Amino acid sequence: MTRDILLQIAQVFTVIALAPLLQGVILQWEERVQRAQGPGIFQPYRDLWKLFHKQLVVPETASFIYWTAPVVAFTCMLTVPILIPVLTNFPLPLSDMGDILGGGFILTLGSFMVTMAGLDSGSSYGGIGSSRAVMLGILAEPTLILVFVGITLLAKAMLPFVVNHLLVAQPEIYWSPAHLFLVAAFFILLLVETDRLPIHSSTHIEIYMIDEARILEYSGPLLGLLKWAAMMKQFILYTIFSNVLLLPWGLSIRGTALGALGAAVALFAKFLSVAVVVVFVETAQSRLRYFRYQEPLAASFLLAILAIVANQLR
Amino acid sequence: MLVAQLQPLAASVFSLIAIASLLLAFVMLGSRWLNDYLIAFATESWLIAILSAAVGYYGHYPELYLIALLTALFRGLLLPYLMLRIVRRLHVDRELYERLSPSASLVVGALLVLFAFVVSSHLGQSLGLAGTVAVLALTVMLSMKLIGFLMLVVRGEALSQILGLLVLENGIFLGSQILVPGMPLLIELVILFDLLVVVACFGVLVRYLVVHTGTSSTHELRRLVG
Repeated sequence: MTRDILLQIAQVFTVIALAPLLQGVILQWEERVQRAQGPGIFQPYRDLWKLFHKQLVVPETASFIYWTAPVVAFTCMLTVPILIPVLTNFPLPLSDMGDILGGGFILTLGSFMVTMAGLDSGSSYGGIGSSRAVMLGILAEPTLILVFVGITLLAKAMLPFVVNHLLVAQPEIYWSPAHLFLVAAFFILLLVETDRLPIHSSTHIEIYMIDEARILEYSGPLLGLLKWAAMMKQFILYTIFSNVLLLPWGLSIRGTALGALGAAVALFAKFLSVAVVVVFVETAQSRLRYFRYQEPLAASFLLAILAIVANQLR
Repeated sequence: MLVAQLQPLAASVFSLIAIASLLLAFVMLGSRWLNDYLIAFATESWLIAILSAAVGYYGHYPELYLIALLTALFRGLLLPYLMLRIVRRLHVDRELYERLSPSASLVVGALLVLFAFVVSSHLGQSLGLAGTVAVLALTVMLSMKLIGFLMLVVRGEALSQILGLLVLENGIFLGSQILVPGMPLLIELVILFDLLVVVACFGVLVRYLVVHTGTSSTHELRRLVG
């Protein structure tokens, strides 16, 4: 029991500690693809360190939402790793608090608070960012629900652990069209939710920014918290994508310390392979006009529907 | 009936090919470029040829190998080549006027797939075939037909209309390969030559359209619209 609690703490700590590294790797690889040198992979850690030692400047128009949003967003990202298989492939204490849908709700709550904070101070950029993020969210939400329905039909359960076990145990389900289409649909959602659609350039501070625009009013430690929460959200979504859907192998089965360590290493290796594809999509695909943002989402919706249709075979 | 006693591997191969060709129909629906349509159509035809060969292999119908070869040659090479010639000669490379934007037509197409799904699962239940590859084949067949109709309705270029017709026909052919694989060889041959005639006739009509109205878009044909 104590071991399980320690493992659960280790899951959360893995997400906290490795999320900036993932971001650093992706940022460096994006620059490398464009034949630039790029920042070191530990740059996000240095950025966070710098931000946490800076002075806090608060707009005069800010209300209590301005103060609570970063904390709530960060707490949400601390909660979700408890629910999903990060290191072990069996449920740990408190893992039964919620299923995939519950985790999705908590992630959305964090995003909602950041959106509110973008609107709170009344700056024009915050408004633009919030409205864009909400627009994308409205279009992404039906697809997300359809993907969940597809997973439920596939595994007859909404618990991520059940899906993981099913895919490991039965390769014919892993290679069935239903599962492959779910993977494809979720991949597009992953791009949308981690703000890597081929709409804006990778430098982010420019006119087509979406997520960055919402937090332009923040500075110092609060900005650090928000950035960290965004990186953790990316890490969590990558975890769900690779540990539940794409690469369900390589998790700790018995729960020993060595196994957990191996699982963490394997997790990061899986992330690197997903990140290669993400970097490729974000840099090799030509930029779209902003108002074509609905096309990838329509494609994702379609893939989710195809997955549900293909599911009837079994 | 073949589909009722398939081994799991064969069933999953069939369903993968069927779903992949449905996906290619969606590629045609979601793109604006005529070259994309042609490539997607050719790939779809090759997939159907592979499907014919697979059905022939698993169901022991030797004449299906011939059909597969003919499908690959006619639908996969000859028809795309003929249409490529029309595209080159007309100097159109994309759909200019959209009645429905690509993303909207993708969503409408997805709803049509859902409709086909509901219809075919009802049919499958009443026939006692629920949960077999037959239902999936029926779904793919119906939805490819509906997508073909959708392309005929929302696309303005004459060439996309030919392709809509061909997608519709591909859907029927795909469904028939899985559902009734023992069709006489002669019927298949007749269908293939029929398609050739259709494309040739359309080629002539499109040239007439260009001479008559100066464009290859059917938007200009409004004398009977009122």
